[in-house]
Amino acid sequence: MSLRFEPRLTRDWGDPSVIGLEGYVAKGGYQGLSKALAMTDADIVEVVKSSGLRGRGGAGFPAGMKWGFVPRDTGKPTYVVVNFDESEPGTCNNRELVERDPHRLLEGMAIAALAIGCETAYLYVRGEYLWQSIVLERAIAEAYATGHLGPDVQGSGKRVDAVLHRGAGAYICGEETALLNSLEGLRGQPRLRPPFPAVEGLFASPTVINNVETLMNVPDILVRGAEWFRELGTEKSPGTKMVTVSGKVERPGNFEVPLGTPFRSVLEELAGGVLDGRTLKAWTPGGSSTPMLTAEHVDVGLDYESLAEAGSMLGTAAIMVMDDTDCVVDCATRMVRFYAHESCGKCTPCREGSWWATRVLERLEEGQGLAADLPIMHDLGTNLLFRAFCALADGTASVINSSLQHFPDEYEAHVRLGGCPLKVEHLEEVLA
Amino acid sequence: MPGEPVTLTIDDKEVTVPKGTLIIRAAEQVGIEVPRFCDHPYLAPAGACRQCYVQVEGQAKLQTSCTVPVAPGMVVRTQNTSEAARQAQVANLEFLLLNHPLDCPICDRGGECPLQDQALAFGPGESRFIDAKRVFPKPVPLSPLVGLDRERCILCARCTRFCDEISGDRFLELFARSAGERVSIAAGEDFRSPFSGNTIQICPVGALTATPYRFVARPFDLTSGDSVCQHCSAGCNVRVDVRRGEVVRVLARENPDVNDAWICDKGRFAYRHADAPGRITTPLIRDRGLEPASFGEVLPWLAERCRTGRVAFLTGGRLMDEDYYALSKLARTVIRTNDLDHRRAFHGGLAEVVAAAAVTDRERSVTYADIEHAPVILLAGLDAEQEVPILHLRIRKAAAHGAKVFVVHPRRTRLYDVAEHLPTRPGHEVFVLDRIREGVDDGSFEARAAAALRSAGAQGIVLAGERLAEHPLAADLALAIASKIGSRFCYVTRRANDRGALGAGVHPSLLPGGRRFGVAGERAEVEAVWGPIMASEDGRDAQQILQACADRSVDVLFVIGADPLRDHPDAVLARRALANVATLVVQSVELGGLEPFASVFLPAAPAVEKDGHLTDWEGRWQRIRPVRDALGISRPDWEIFAGLAAAMGSDLGFETLEELHEEMASLFVPRVMPERPNVWAGAGAPQWLDDLTLFTYPLLVDEGTLSDRADELKAALEEPAFAEMHPVDAEKRGLVDGVGVRLTTAAGDATVPLRVTDHVAAGSVFVPFNQPGLAANTLLSGRSTASVTVEAVADVESAASAVPDAALATGPPA
Amino acid sequence: MPLLYLAQSVEGSVTREALREIGALLGITTAEVEAVASFYTMFRLRPTGTHVISVCTNLACKLRGAEAVFEAAHEASGVAHGAERSDDGLFTLHEEECLGVCDFAPAVQINFCNHDNLTPERMRELVAGLRAGEVPSPARGPAFDSFKTASRALAGLEEVTSA
Repeated sequence: MSLRFEPRLTRDWGDPSVIGLEGYVAKGGYQGLSKALAMTDADIVEVVKSSGLRGRGGAGFPAGMKWGFVPRDTGKPTYVVVNFDESEPGTCNNRELVERDPHRLLEGMAIAALAIGCETAYLYVRGEYLWQSIVLERAIAEAYATGHLGPDVQGSGKRVDAVLHRGAGAYICGEETALLNSLEGLRGQPRLRPPFPAVEGLFASPTVINNVETLMNVPDILVRGAEWFRELGTEKSPGTKMVTVSGKVERPGNFEVPLGTPFRSVLEELAGGVLDGRTLKAWTPGGSSTPMLTAEHVDVGLDYESLAEAGSMLGTAAIMVMDDTDCVVDCATRMVRFYAHESCGKCTPCREGSWWATRVLERLEEGQGLAADLPIMHDLGTNLLFRAFCALADGTASVINSSLQHFPDEYEAHVRLGGCPLKVEHLEEVLA
Repeated sequence: MPGEPVTLTIDDKEVTVPKGTLIIRAAEQVGIEVPRFCDHPYLAPAGACRQCYVQVEGQAKLQTSCTVPVAPGMVVRTQNTSEAARQAQVANLEFLLLNHPLDCPICDRGGECPLQDQALAFGPGESRFIDAKRVFPKPVPLSPLVGLDRERCILCARCTRFCDEISGDRFLELFARSAGERVSIAAGEDFRSPFSGNTIQICPVGALTATPYRFVARPFDLTSGDSVCQHCSAGCNVRVDVRRGEVVRVLARENPDVNDAWICDKGRFAYRHADAPGRITTPLIRDRGLEPASFGEVLPWLAERCRTGRVAFLTGGRLMDEDYYALSKLARTVIRTNDLDHRRAFHGGLAEVVAAAAVTDRERSVTYADIEHAPVILLAGLDAEQEVPILHLRIRKAAAHGAKVFVVHPRRTRLYDVAEHLPTRPGHEVFVLDRIREGVDDGSFEARAAAALRSAGAQGIVLAGERLAEHPLAADLALAIASKIGSRFCYVTRRANDRGALGAGVHPSLLPGGRRFGVAGERAEVEAVWGPIMASEDGRDAQQILQACADRSVDVLFVIGADPLRDHPDAVLARRALANVATLVVQSVELGGLEPFASVFLPAAPAVEKDGHLTDWEGRWQRIRPVRDALGISRPDWEIFAGLAAAMGSDLGFETLEELHEEMASLFVPRVMPERPNVWAGAGAPQWLDDLTLFTYPLLVDEGTLSDRADELKAALEEPAFAEMHPVDAEKRGLVDGVGVRLTTAAGDATVPLRVTDHVAAGSVFVPFNQPGLAANTLLSGRSTASVTVEAVADVESAASAVPDAALATGPPA
Repeated sequence: MPLLYLAQSVEGSVTREALREIGALLGITTAEVEAVASFYTMFRLRPTGTHVISVCTNLACKLRGAEAVFEAAHEASGVAHGAERSDDGLFTLHEEECLGVCDFAPAVQINFCNHDNLTPERMRELVAGLRAGEVPSPARGPAFDSFKTASRALAGLEEVTSA
């Protein structure tokens, strides 16, 4: 897949003037909103459905279909909630998208609001993105001042209000229903489904929760059409995707690529290859919650289907690269510790399982591992997968299962050597 | 209301259940138990513990059976027939036991612990965990009643969900997250809820324990009996646990028709009365210096005085139906008087008659189920949380289902977050009720209540508390509202068996079954069973009886299961009456404050030693059985009455409980109800008087005799006496929150700390009836309200214990 | 949640009194407030330093040397491992989870302002500067000179001016 393509989400990244409303409008901004105002809600939903745009937050659920699920006859207000809680380790594309093009998000959000008859949209921003939330607040103020948001959007008589809410440091609040609870001022623990947010979400009303990147694709779809959107990407994964590359690469950063682009192209052409010319050992395709892959998988296409076939997931397309100097067990320990720290505590397997896994992995890494620990880790991988209240534990399981699957010798070495093979000094002496 | 039937298969067994039933419940129907911790039939599904996994055909992932409702044709496999489900359950128990301490030998829950039982049945045999468990200081007192052992907690959140969904007293919450998540109270904010004990009972491990029961007994030490709580008219079903003859614990017994699975803390923790040091188990007679005597000696002595003198009877509200019936018959057929009364101040008029007559008539009763499903409920003169707590919970349940609740009461109740309150000065309820009856349409509270009741039709409910009957017309007015609109009506009495006493005719003008003494036809029905009724005219009520005793025109006064000194709303009169009456017979479990006045003491058995019925506020009969044998020679009250009748040469006509029941059955048959008033002259408009009306009612946890020695309960929930006044009135008098005030009425005065709050209606002053520091009946002259003046007191000391730190059972400040 | 940010912007942490007051204001129990406050890492319920230093040590940052940066932060700030803050009350230091600056790892936030591509040496410089009363310029956005000021911004009380 060629890396030469007409950029979409990053089109105006070289032009800081689009951060301000005037600059944004000068570059064709808020025309998608104008178009949407002239369409019926159903037609807006239709065009987004036809585009095949899939949620970019990790689940990959078709956005148009999600909007279509919202019942319009309940007598209750409908809500659009922007999920800007970006906390998946390795992911920071939403951050840069908002820093460089905040109005595009507002426009996409407003169009979504029109599509489902929503008059008050909420933006949930993770607390640590303080600066980015201020950028958004300024953009919202500008949009209000010029009538692109507010009681009379672009003179149409329709209302779209925007309320910005800051999180306070909880990865779990990126989960839809936990986000809703947090937005309502409660502890960020996920809710039982059914009922689904589309039917009973924010304040028990029909709600659509969309990722920042997903919404930022919407204005262009309205202006350029569904067919145009499908010109890039694959049949089942149309469009472009922001990819974050970090870790042991020469040029870490956020890049836009058509879906389906092989990882090799991203790694070598965009990120400059493995740092210091070392060898690729392992990489997460979509953040730490996706099963890690190895050098064997370097040619896999970055789209939902190809990665699923390879035994992993696209997730947030947050690629963290580990090289041959990195101990997988050490990395796995740190990743599992993340899940243990971020577990909301509600359900037994996630709360206790990730805690136990952390204890065992820490012992393994520190050289106190026992042979009995390996079957325990295997069982933890099995007992955490699909056994918890929400998918956070599945992330933990991904780390454990994939690291065990691809690097069993490293684990065994830790037990056998009584320490990390990459850290043990005088390794030769030990082996002798 | 059940849904259409759905048929599914569980472990190859077919089962049909109503639509909406959860898989776990359906499994129970065919005797299949799926292990669970966070699931509770009366709480909304949580899906937190992940123990109840089952396999559902067609679903790739295992499903939690406690969150998934059944579907037609569903095929479910539990741990019995699915290896995947079984393995998942074992793994989950492994997780649960990871950090669970090996406390079983010292844990109160041991032997009756769902974690123990399910770990044995469904869990792994040994632990693979070699790292250090999480440890915490233990136990942490959440209140004087409830202790928390964090190490044992499995975070099923049953306790926090109970507080959120059922009681609404959200003092218990989950704090922090991940492995540090814990159940906790906020420091300085005790778990002060009158329902806190339920969390102990539903906790599936020994994390929440009852402080009064800590280290007291093991389940195999106990003998248990089923009974009904006698602390109020809720009729809660309980299980009483006895160890070596002593009552050591009371638990709730599930009854979806009555108390769901709950009891209040008073019912749970005030059980030491029957074993109190003051308990007397033999007759005493003053002539012998209050030395123990036998019934054989005492009854003839008493009989002689009853034959020659004028006799009157006063009772409390905790006797059994059979006791009241026997007394009613004794008074009318042997003693020849209608001077008997169980009430204190409230005379319910026609509402009372209706309540008495409806005792046997289920069709006309309001039940808990009616409350739960009512779309509209109007309460007047009732603070359910303090007076009939489990009724309060049911009203909350109705509100959670969308019911509109309206409360007419001088003081804000704990329904404040789910109901509309109209703070109404005592005595002014008539005006409010009249406007509702009229159906005013002016956007007011009355208009909303009227409209709501109208739209609810026969499913709307009007509840009149007995205090409404202070005003002669009020209770009947509530009845009139119901009649006009077609709502259901209930006159709610407070004490355990006030309804039974009413029904039995322990009342100056009522005979059993609500039959009026003054109506010849109704009297004849009773005489057909009893023989001639010797009394010739309507009797005197409690106030009049005491007055007659004070005037020495009553010679023998029986005080049965009551304490007029503390309970009668005229302390001065009560004292004079008891001092002046020639013969005072105290028939009770203890003598208490009546000792200086008693001529004779007859030992009655407490509820735990009795066999009979109690009638709850609904009018429902519930059988209680003895949990242990009667101590000493104490006897059920009805037996004592029968013995007295025999000593007087007469015969009550029954010697066994069965015979008594047979006779009662013949009288308690559904009858034609008395006409309800539907014509009303109108109550006019309230006159705003310049002075203040003092009003009082008993709070749940007070100095009542039945709460004797319930020290932990009192430490947790009892407040010292106080007065409440509205800011408007306080300002007029230059009074501020926290000062000591002197309350002066015609009957006397008292000094208490003042709370200035808008939770009471303007123009009224509230004092609780029986708290430490003030017996409010010293301020009353025969009614539960009185005109009062309030002035500041210079005394610095009295200001000391003003507003307590922690939030009250009536909730945090608005 | 904004009320909790407001409380810590005034008192430097969310105190017991603040919890009670917020409960009274909203008509809920103190427990309900504390339940929410204790769930999130950015609400500090314990004594906090003037400056809060958050060092991300999650995978992307760890791979680029975050652990060394964290150690340097410990030495420079005087916050002992496991302690709430330094003895002089100036600093609170903790390991953080992914801050969303994986492209400029190792990432650190000082009073929720971003400092990118940190090295142990640069970390020491920053801490020394803070100690001297300087307000370091973040990689992006305005500088907040203390945890309190940042909390105030988080509460939504900072003036919003046009870009």
